[in-house]
Amino acid sequence: MNPFSPANHLILVILTPLVGALAAWLLGSRGVSAVRQSAAVTTLITLTGAVLLILRALPEVSAGHAFAVSEGPWLVDGPFDIRFSLGLDGLSIWLFGLSALLSVTAVMVSWEAIKEKPVGFYALLLILESAMLGVFAARDVILFYVFFEFTLVPLFFLIGIWGHDDRRRAAVKFFIYTLAGSVLAFLGLLTIVLWSASHTGMLSFDIAKLTAGLAAHPLPMDARGGWLQWWVFLALFAGFAVKVPIVPFHTWLPLAHVEAPTGGSVDLAGVLLKIGIYGFLRFSLPMLPEATAAAAPWMLGLGVVGILYGALVALAQSDLKRLIAYSSVSHMGYCVMGIAALEPVAVEGATLQLINHGLSAAGLFALVGMIYERYHTRSIANLGGIAARAPWLAFMFILFTFSSIGLPGLNGFVGEFMVLLGSFQRAWSGVAFEWRTSYLTMAVAAVVGVVLGAWYMLWAVERVFFGASRQPPGDHGHAPPSTADHGAGGDDSHGHGHGPAAAEPTDDLRWYEWVALAPLALFVLWIGLFPATFLAPSAAAVRTAMAPGAAAFAARMGAVPDGSPVTQTAQADAAPTLPGTAIVPSDPPLTAGFERIP
Amino acid sequence: MTQTSLSTFLLAGPEIVLVVAALVAYLGGAFCGLRQGWLVALIGIAVAACWPGMGLEAGSVVSSGPFTFDDFALFVRRFVLLAGAGLALVQSGDQFRGAVTPRQTPRASSTCEEAGTFLLLLAGVSLVASANDLVLLFAGLELVSIPTYILLALKRTDAQGQEASLKYFFLSLVASALFLYGLACLYGIGGSTSLAEIGSRLRSGDGRIVATAQTLLPVAVGMMIGGIAFRLAAVPMHFYAPDVYEGAGPGNAALLSTLPKVAGIVVLLRLLALGTGGKLGMIALNQGVVGPAGVAWLTFFWQLTAVLAALTMTVGNCMALLQTNLRRLLACSSIAHAGYLLVGVAAAAAADATVGGRPFPGRDTSWTAALGGASATLFYLAAYVAATIGVFGALAYLGHRWPEWSAGSAPRPPREEISTIDDLDGLSGTNPVVAFSLATFLLSLAGIPPLPGFWGKLSLALAALEVDWTAQATAGSRRVFFLALAVILVINAAIAAAYYLRIVAAMYFRSAKRGVQADGGLGAGIAMLVALVVMAMVTLQPRPLFSAAARAGASIAPGAVSGLTITPPQAINAPQASTQP
Repeated sequence: MNPFSPANHLILVILTPLVGALAAWLLGSRGVSAVRQSAAVTTLITLTGAVLLILRALPEVSAGHAFAVSEGPWLVDGPFDIRFSLGLDGLSIWLFGLSALLSVTAVMVSWEAIKEKPVGFYALLLILESAMLGVFAARDVILFYVFFEFTLVPLFFLIGIWGHDDRRRAAVKFFIYTLAGSVLAFLGLLTIVLWSASHTGMLSFDIAKLTAGLAAHPLPMDARGGWLQWWVFLALFAGFAVKVPIVPFHTWLPLAHVEAPTGGSVDLAGVLLKIGIYGFLRFSLPMLPEATAAAAPWMLGLGVVGILYGALVALAQSDLKRLIAYSSVSHMGYCVMGIAALEPVAVEGATLQLINHGLSAAGLFALVGMIYERYHTRSIANLGGIAARAPWLAFMFILFTFSSIGLPGLNGFVGEFMVLLGSFQRAWSGVAFEWRTSYLTMAVAAVVGVVLGAWYMLWAVERVFFGASRQPPGDHGHAPPSTADHGAGGDDSHGHGHGPAAAEPTDDLRWYEWVALAPLALFVLWIGLFPATFLAPSAAAVRTAMAPGAAAFAARMGAVPDGSPVTQTAQADAAPTLPGTAIVPSDPPLTAGFERIP
Repeated sequence: MTQTSLSTFLLAGPEIVLVVAALVAYLGGAFCGLRQGWLVALIGIAVAACWPGMGLEAGSVVSSGPFTFDDFALFVRRFVLLAGAGLALVQSGDQFRGAVTPRQTPRASSTCEEAGTFLLLLAGVSLVASANDLVLLFAGLELVSIPTYILLALKRTDAQGQEASLKYFFLSLVASALFLYGLACLYGIGGSTSLAEIGSRLRSGDGRIVATAQTLLPVAVGMMIGGIAFRLAAVPMHFYAPDVYEGAGPGNAALLSTLPKVAGIVVLLRLLALGTGGKLGMIALNQGVVGPAGVAWLTFFWQLTAVLAALTMTVGNCMALLQTNLRRLLACSSIAHAGYLLVGVAAAAAADATVGGRPFPGRDTSWTAALGGASATLFYLAAYVAATIGVFGALAYLGHRWPEWSAGSAPRPPREEISTIDDLDGLSGTNPVVAFSLATFLLSLAGIPPLPGFWGKLSLALAALEVDWTAQATAGSRRVFFLALAVILVINAAIAAAYYLRIVAAMYFRSAKRGVQADGGLGAGIAMLVALVVMAMVTLQPRPLFSAAARAGASIAPGAVSGLTITPPQAINAPQASTQP
């Protein structure tokens, strides 16, 4: 038994945060700094382990195989076959890494912000990290669901105990909304399991086996079979749409974000929202292709509505954190749009956009937290001229803003561009004639969303960072203004304001804030300049996942046979991409374009 | 099959031990000045649990006179003894409860009386599970009810407690009468008091029985389920629960929300077995010889229980959303849980009404019901009882809150019990261990994975989904009905999370105002911790409980038997790719 076998490596990475949580608890009596240092060390160890694992996994995963697969019996009894089954593949590998990366950020942004009950805070943050790593590594439906739900519990406490004024309502609303959706998704998954069992005789909960089983015996999508596939799709949709969130189900998100402590916001925006899209990619597309194809136009529409609605609401916000929360709604719309386009480029773009949004939203939430720590306000009207006092903070904010609005050369551009490109491809050549106008309209509307995104973000940057200074100059060490004081853990009445009204640089980034932001900035540039590094490993898995859906779409409402694009798409789907050679073999111009960007 | 009376005594040994221990407690308390009633109870339970007659071979059935001992009876007996130990600990921690004001001091022997009565109650539940005769069934059920009245009346001497015990007493009488009426009808149909006899006649297809059954069967099923609904606190007999729980102390509330429900579910499953024939009827069933009366019996059964389940879950949860008093809230939640349990009962009845318990005509294979409603119900029951004992153990342990009283002003005010959710404010700061345990129990009740409540809801949802799995889902069909029931179940689970979270939020998100005294005694604390350990064990490895429940359920509804013994087709027997080093 090799302790360094890939499978054990993965298990160790997932368990490390739990050990760290225990360590934080044991160190509780040594005071805040011991606890936070142990938490930081734990997340860094986990990150190192995750990076090493990803490096080991890349060759296998790029070839479209699962890596580090392990399984142990959990409830294996009679026909039941529920296992502790873990592994990484192209769909999950980057999200797994993102979880490990953002956990470091989450700990670092809480460095000075959390002074009250630090043990509980850091222990919960670490438990949350374990759950996030687990949800992407799970290869068993029950295990996935367990981790999925278990991300809720730590965040519920993080929001409810260390959040801001309205934290209790936010925590409960967040929990109930997500739970209500996910129990329906769970019922859908059980139906899938039973369906597969009625054909194989074994109640297997293994995701790979279920996918294969459903490919051989698809759920009925006609009146005779009771439209079962459609119902199962709707049940899964309920769970994942709330998590994303897709627009009519988004109301929990701004509240949860605004009330959450910064560390919680970073994890929520950076990782937890991704589980929804990941669920669609993991379950809906490969297992329920016909229903997905039937729902695709409507999902595309909802995605576009989300983009525009989120952007317009963000435009009207006066609270910086709320603005970024709505921008999350808007940006997750691109991901929904990307997977609903069912076009290889768009789906790959959507998976990349998950990472992009994870980096930029986490960075922006972290920065808002830092601004709040300094000036005790998030109101845009009360802020101004920060760039003069904290140039590096402003630089970082602007960097993540550019990433978020899709400036070419940064990561956001690649993802959004691929999604839009795929949508236009679908609209021009991949959809039946009577749908073409609607598809074109939706794609154009999404482009309008990009413009709106630039508008609200840049406008906010202009008001907050430039112009006259409106907030009291760096009031560290003073009693914070009474109104902004509630709840936020141990605010920041700590004594790092060396000297009253100190020189400008005291407002700038401190070392732990650099640790929080620098890796994110690095990846923002890396993905922007060399997207192929990140696209190639997941390409094969993404294509395998979306192939059934795309085929069903082509059969259902694809272009008439004379238009070659449909068959071309189908062929591209059938042949998995070779690793390292090209991102999108069927679209050489696109690949070439990306490599020329730098 | 029929054994001598001596071996009957041996087989019923544990119940006899319980009754003897009860007598020891009564007499010792009355004449020898025995004070340690609960100790006697625990010793009695331990002796009963070690009784050699327990070691029946798995899967065997022994019928003797009014008794029948099968896997189901043994499962319930073990379960009742375990739960009884926990409840005895909770009750012992609750013994100061009589002294609400300094004037009311507990009488010396009252703990012995309580302990003895409690032991009789346990014996009653256990007898119900092994009853093979209508008379013993009813006697066992009354052995559950009557001690409950006494316990309710003994513990609380204040007006609220009196009201609770009287309310429970009168309603319980009505319920018993209903149930008895149902039994009489059943006797009218079957012409015998032996359950085995009635069952075999129901399933025989005898024309005379069918004719009688047509008129009497709906009445019998309706009356019996109506009577049982009271024990379960299921709609329409649910309304008493909040008032009675509020009036009873935490110990009694724990008892009320567990043992009568166990007894009720056990009776329902035993009666359901009349249609399926249980283990003994399997041979006939496998030959497909089930008379129309047997099928009608199961059909009435599932229709009624399914409707009640849907109503009970929804009503219970919606009522619970409005409560601020802890015990009222838990009463409403226990109503909801009765609804979840009924889903399993309905699924068991429906699955076996389909094709007489034989494997469904699957499309490709002979795949059949995986776990079965009966087993799922038993699993859920165990998860529910463990969490409930834990919750009330924690509440009993917490005892009273600190009064608003400053030294030197007025005379010390009477102690106030913890009653509302607000009283738990900030418990995580003052009593972190209790707060953590309570949160775990509540989250398990809410069905948050991977706690036992989640495994229970998983089993129930599977059982409901797999009813008529291979049939077409047409409007009004049984399959659509059970699909809807599964949807109602999970939506209710989400509603329930709202009020459980309110308690958790109070404990963790608010700051303590007055704090609690934690004066409830060691027993309740131990019960809480034991429940926590049990939860942790089932969470990590649900398999032992799962297998036990599956075996027990199989002897009730043999439809599930094949689920356990199924040999999957060769295709999936291929060794699974396991890279576990």
